[in-house]
Amino acid sequence: MKLGPRRGRLLLAAWFAACFVFSAIADPVWLAALLAAMVLVFWKQASRAARRTAVSAVPLTLFLILASWGWVHVVAQQTPDLRAYAALALRTTLIAFTSFAVLARVDLLAALQPWPTLSRLLVIILGQVHALRLLVTESLLGLRSRLPRKPRALDAIRGAGGITATLLTLATKNARDISDALRSRGF
Amino acid sequence: MHIPDGFLAPTITLPAYAISGPLWVWAARKHFGPNQVETLPAVGALTAVAFVLQTIMIPVPGGTSTHLVGAALLALAQGPLQAFVCESLVLLVQALFFGAGGITVLGVNALAMGLLGPLCAWLVFRGLRRAWPRLAAFVAAYLGMQVSTLAVALTLGLQHHLSPAIFPTPLPVMFTAMMVPSLTVTGIVEGLYTMLALRLLERVRGKVAS
Repeated sequence: MKLGPRRGRLLLAAWFAACFVFSAIADPVWLAALLAAMVLVFWKQASRAARRTAVSAVPLTLFLILASWGWVHVVAQQTPDLRAYAALALRTTLIAFTSFAVLARVDLLAALQPWPTLSRLLVIILGQVHALRLLVTESLLGLRSRLPRKPRALDAIRGAGGITATLLTLATKNARDISDALRSRGF
Repeated sequence: MHIPDGFLAPTITLPAYAISGPLWVWAARKHFGPNQVETLPAVGALTAVAFVLQTIMIPVPGGTSTHLVGAALLALAQGPLQAFVCESLVLLVQALFFGAGGITVLGVNALAMGLLGPLCAWLVFRGLRRAWPRLAAFVAAYLGMQVSTLAVALTLGLQHHLSPAIFPTPLPVMFTAMMVPSLTVTGIVEGLYTMLALRLLERVRGKVAS
């Protein structure tokens, strides 16, 4: 269940401060304990937040850590400190999990009510992102259907300019429509 | 290319917020006041386009991938200050809803990818466009991309220097891992894309004007 605007704003402020505190901790034991605490605090959102964290933050962090660790081990012939890498992975996971769990409890648009320009920008951008991602997917499908083989990087680059011009023209028109509609509803 | 949350300590992220905060306020007052009816939709649209561009990944040797930024095109089309705001909004949306980048590192990422790179691209473009009107956009975007990548690599290197316990990977590793794909692949693709898209935009604008 989402929190009310006032409590939502308080939770957002607490989350913002907590992220900075988390980013200053280097002890993996403390980070693991805090991660366990956050799972308990946001128990209801835990499975969804964990799934989103596992998809978005964990693979990139693990890749960066493994690549860096391997490079230092093989090329520089040193044995890197595993505790520091473990802390890095835990810190990133902790902040990502907390962010997803907090944002699932907050109605962002209601919390941002005192700042109507920011609310309007967020609505426009999110609406546009969704519309443009659909357009890009359709453009790529169109490119594939016109070529007898799988499109290569050069084909995508050739088509990128044309797609961008269409995207910009369409996006500006859509954004103006959304903005007018929001303004007429008091945003 | 974004720095994720947890990679930098507040010793770097808070000063970055202190620098980018006033810039956001200044840009908001200049471009997003209550009377700026036309600016808001345009910025929303350009931000969304930059966002979509950043989802198009380019494979690089080694099994990983990198992505376009699109901020150079924004800077050349709208100016560096609007590009900074647009890129900051892209980073905010990515941090809030998609788990890319992060909220503590928003200031750092915005300064590196939204200000330094686009500002460099804008300055280079202004300097070269009379001498080489066609190549100027390519060179500007290529150099802008390198400046952004270099800024990100140096920031991570600085964090390692300040506290290896927070970021254990030394600068030479980060520098190589980030600059090689940027110099050989991403920069070239960003340059080509910016050059072609800018020419098309000029044609579209010319048609609209006539």
